[in-house]
Amino acid sequence: MIVASGLRKIYRVGSMEIKAVDGLDIFIEAGEFLSIVGPSGSGKTTLLHLLGLLDAPTSGSISIDGMDTAALSPKQLTRLRREKIGFVFQEFNLLPVLNARENVELPLRYLKVPAEERRRRALRALEMVSLTDRADNRPGQLSGGEQQRVAIARALVTEPVLVLADEPTGELDTYNTCKVIELMRDLNRDTGQTFAIVTHDPMVADYTRRIVSLRDGRIASDSAGPEAALECDAGAGDIR
Amino acid sequence: MFRYVLRNMWRRKARTFLTVFGIVVGIFALTVLGALSARLNQQVKGAEAWFTSKISVVPSGSSLFGGSEGYLELSKVDEIEAVPGVKSAVAGFGLTLGEESIGFGAPELIVGAELEKAGDLLSLIELNRGRLLQMGDERKAVLGSTLAEKFEAGPGDTVELRGKDFEVVGVYEPTLSAPDGFAFVSYEDALNLFREANPYFEVRDIAATIDVIPQPGVDMEELAARIAESVPGVKVISPAEAEKQISQFSLIFNAILLGIGFIALVVGGLSIVNTMIMSVSERTQEIGLKKAIGAETGSVLGEYLLESAMIGFFGGLVGMLLGLLAVALLNRATASSNVAVFTVTATVVVGPVVFATLLGTAAGIFPALRAARLKPIEALKED
Ligand SMILES: Nc1ncnc2c1ncn2[C@@H]1O[C@H](COP(=O)(O)OP(=O)(O)OP(=O)(O)O)[C@@H](O)[C@H]1O
Ligand SMILES: [Mg+2]
Repeated sequence: MIVASGLRKIYRVGSMEIKAVDGLDIFIEAGEFLSIVGPSGSGKTTLLHLLGLLDAPTSGSISIDGMDTAALSPKQLTRLRREKIGFVFQEFNLLPVLNARENVELPLRYLKVPAEERRRRALRALEMVSLTDRADNRPGQLSGGEQQRVAIARALVTEPVLVLADEPTGELDTYNTCKVIELMRDLNRDTGQTFAIVTHDPMVADYTRRIVSLRDGRIASDSAGPEAALECDAGAGDIR
Repeated sequence: MFRYVLRNMWRRKARTFLTVFGIVVGIFALTVLGALSARLNQQVKGAEAWFTSKISVVPSGSSLFGGSEGYLELSKVDEIEAVPGVKSAVAGFGLTLGEESIGFGAPELIVGAELEKAGDLLSLIELNRGRLLQMGDERKAVLGSTLAEKFEAGPGDTVELRGKDFEVVGVYEPTLSAPDGFAFVSYEDALNLFREANPYFEVRDIAATIDVIPQPGVDMEELAARIAESVPGVKVISPAEAEKQISQFSLIFNAILLGIGFIALVVGGLSIVNTMIMSVSERTQEIGLKKAIGAETGSVLGEYLLESAMIGFFGGLVGMLLGLLAVALLNRATASSNVAVFTVTATVVVGPVVFATLLGTAAGIFPALRAARLKPIEALKED
């Protein structure tokens, strides 16, 4: 489904060259459930942005379903993102003036979904992350973990074929991390949506079917994950 | 979209308020001056009808509006009537109604005209009720509409003009201009009133203006030139000349209005530009996020244009309403002296709001374009 080859992203800061992604080949099939791990600064976020067509590589190519994305105009790229990709960003995710439901509705708005349906789908997405009761709260009134779950609901609400999530569980406790991964795995199994999850958390990686490990902008290892069984226990201790 | 934009504006209440307030001040001034100018234009229009249907002869050195620095010998009337093409020349005399002169607009005047010849002149304005002045009328008056209202007088009533009782015989239709404040009397009555007020003035027969009615078919401009040529010591104001003087008068006013508008444009516009640039730069990340999840360039552009248009619109609306309030209060304050200083027309109400909204939109173009052109990922990463 996604084929990236010879992918490079070089940042120039003054006279310095930072090779955030440095000659990387990756093939992601439709319906995969994979995690991307690696030390801080290894290029995980950069790779995710490239795969999500948010950023153009310095060199190399990305093709989606056999179509070379380099040939697409910014307008076409926007459309592709809007229709096929759901994002959870590492840092800035929600608009502060919109409440949780309105934030989740936003991508549907760009897809010109009628208001009534938008509302219904947004509430359903919030239900998936157990936040129905916080639908009317603005991000400032939510905890970090709750905000992250709202962002996840927003990424899922359009039912995109590809979900790219950058540290989606970074702010969550063990129980909620487990619930989120369970949700994603269920969706992956039931709808065939592709998930690529960047994570620092070995437990999260262990739940996935494939683990891509980055180092210095390259793939250090690419192996099958254990796809550990999930058992989310609300009472479980949270000391890790 | 509207609600969203409003919430964004509400986020920086103080800043939005100050920007809107800047527009309010400018538009307030524009509205008040607009109402003033509307009133003046209205008067000028009415005055035009009155002044441009005749040729006025005034003492040399005075103009249409500054009439009383000198007087004409009555012998001039015969000299003018001798000019070919003149049907009649009517000596006129104007003096202010009250001792005090009223500050604004056309003064209330007692206008005396030679009744033997003034028929054509006095029928330039439509009569509302009663009759016109006739030959031989003594201590009789026909009132302009405003004056009639002020005295609450109609045909048959008695009014006091400069301490003397006059019987009202007729009331004119409103012309929305100077003659509405005139009390028309006979030349002799006016002259007597003048003499009483100026007891030391040399007693002789004089006129302040001589109004010339041309024979039918005679070109007024040519006739005016002929009079100027053959009668020495007078100034002849032809209809074209009168129109020029009148339009010069309103031109100055409209220039002032334009100036105020321009200042409002520059000050208000720049403050909107400034506010919008700040809004865009503090929301860079949000713009990045929106574009990342699929917002079109056009939708971001529209959102910011809407925001700046709304600043303009609110400022314009509030400024205009305050302006109307001020105008209403000022008009009420001067109502007792029966001088409406301001007129509220559709242009006065709608104009400033449309102007402010367009101004806001125009001021938003640059910042909105900047926002719309941001690259999603660069914007998202900024802090
Ligand atoms: N806009 C930029 N300009 C310059 N250097 C950048 C820029 N963005 C990222 N980098 C650099 O590129 C490298 C890879 O960054 P990236 O954000 O992809 O790392 P990451 O693996 O996501 O790290 P983390 O786990 O801390 O999020 C880092 O060294 C970073 O400093
Ligand atoms: Mg990262």
